[in-house]
Amino acid sequence: MTSLVTASNVSKHFKDVRAVDDVSFEIEKGKIMGLFGPNGAGKTTLLKAMLGLTDCEGQLSVLGLDPFKQRKELMRNICFIADVAVLPGWIKVTQLLDFVEATHPNFSRSSAEEFLSRTKVRKDAKVRELSKGMVTQLHLSIIMAIDAKLLVLDEPTLGLDIIFRKEFYSNLLSDYFDGERTILITTHQVEEIENLMTDIMFINDGRILLDSSMDALPETYVELMTSGEDANKARQLGPVYERDVFGKKVMTFVGKNKEQLAEFGECHTPSVADLFVAMVKGAAA
Amino acid sequence: MSGVINHQQALIKREVWEHRSIWITPAAVAFVVTFIAIAAVVMVAAFGEAINPEIERIADATLPDAMRRAALAVFLLGNTTVFMFAMWFLLIFYCLDALYAERKDRSILFWRSLPITDAETAISKLLTAVLAIPLATMAGVIISHLLNLVIMSIWLSTEGVNPIRFIWAAVPLFDTWTAVLIFLVAMPIWMAPLLGWLLFISAWAKRGPLLRAVLPIAILPFLEYIIFKTWHLGKAIVARLGPEQMPIFDIFEFAERFDEDNLHDVLAENVSLLSMLDIGKFLTSFEVWAGVIVCGLFVTAAIYVRRYRDDT
Repeated sequence: MTSLVTASNVSKHFKDVRAVDDVSFEIEKGKIMGLFGPNGAGKTTLLKAMLGLTDCEGQLSVLGLDPFKQRKELMRNICFIADVAVLPGWIKVTQLLDFVEATHPNFSRSSAEEFLSRTKVRKDAKVRELSKGMVTQLHLSIIMAIDAKLLVLDEPTLGLDIIFRKEFYSNLLSDYFDGERTILITTHQVEEIENLMTDIMFINDGRILLDSSMDALPETYVELMTSGEDANKARQLGPVYERDVFGKKVMTFVGKNKEQLAEFGECHTPSVADLFVAMVKGAAA
Repeated sequence: MSGVINHQQALIKREVWEHRSIWITPAAVAFVVTFIAIAAVVMVAAFGEAINPEIERIADATLPDAMRRAALAVFLLGNTTVFMFAMWFLLIFYCLDALYAERKDRSILFWRSLPITDAETAISKLLTAVLAIPLATMAGVIISHLLNLVIMSIWLSTEGVNPIRFIWAAVPLFDTWTAVLIFLVAMPIWMAPLLGWLLFISAWAKRGPLLRAVLPIAILPFLEYIIFKTWHLGKAIVARLGPEQMPIFDIFEFAERFDEDNLHDVLAENVSLLSMLDIGKFLTSFEVWAGVIVCGLFVTAAIYVRRYRDDT
């Protein structure tokens, strides 16, 4: 496996605040990586550093390039949707296609038109006349028609209704992802991409809390539902987080023996959302 | 190299799409100027009053050809002045908005997701001011001149005067248009330090670019006066505010030649606007090139701000 992104000891601070604090990770080719973190966790700063929009300390290499110094080369092989509102309102759909065609060497206009023909986006419409969902469809149609090695999506479905959100991800999987391409997604709607991701990373206070493949999650992370005396015994094993559900205790364990835990109650793999809460709150405690 | 040119073409086209005032303004001026010409003709026809002395003069069969030619040139020039005035506003407000609007609507994030450098983008905005705006204005000038001459021709025909001889054979169109084009392109080059400053402010200001652009150039000359008792900066700024002091001709001499008292002498010769422009003087002027360098510094600063400041 080749690494598309390699970060070692990457930091970025604004005055006194360390937005990204000594972070190291790799993203391999062909993965769909979900990056999660609460607001202000450093997600966006990390993405910006990877996209060459901001500088950082440490070693950061994206597609073998220094993103800040070699931005133009990088942008030939990387695409990103920063969020839904960034397409300019004044531009017409055809003008947008003309412009990307003239400036992006890896853009296929016919593919973009093919994607657009499946939507309700009229080609003579201006962006400001389109609904929020249609603007996202338009943006996605353009991005998907670019033969890029890495696609970065920062809250791509923010403010969209559930139908558009579902459609967005199903289009992404069926039309874009081919196992050769690599996708990095951040979103607050963790559940929606849970079945889509191959890898997952949590970030909080500028540090990585979790960096794992989805397949490896059940081996390491266990949620135990228990109560009464069993709960006290389980607590001795050091859960990272504990919460109450209908009078029962739900404890999250990291790297503990599943069989041993099963003696105290019902074990299962936590959902990504629950795991996220457990890791963030557990780290804060 | 061809990639650079293709990018610039696409980028300048984008500016014209976004800033529709680049072609709407000259089109509107052409419309107004033509409307006034039609109104003048109708007034003359309806009330028998001479609204436009040039038209009267042109229709005078006793007038020597050279004078008719000159009268037509003066008429076209008067018409053109309105376009120059409009272009001044266009240049100022375009440069002030060029790197500001994309940050205000956050489309900068989309533009920066494409493989285009910040330098290419900033330079395309400068080229739009120096080339696209003068060319769009020139198109407006040509259309308006032709429309006005056609209206004059129709009016002369109704008066029983032959417009082919009195207008189309006499009018120094090519000479006038060449002179106007040179003037329109020279104007933003002369104003380059001001335009560069405005581009820098439009890249730098987080809000209120107009105020932030005007305040320093209004206040700094007074500071210079208070401290050094000199007005060098103030004079330099005033010189670049408009085309009046452009080292391509002496506008006062120009105006004087067309003054009523001297008009007869001027009109007796074969008047040529083009021959009144001194392109060599303009191109070898120290002031012109110093201004271009100052503009280059401001645009470089604008590129750096767009490239390195993260304010998204």
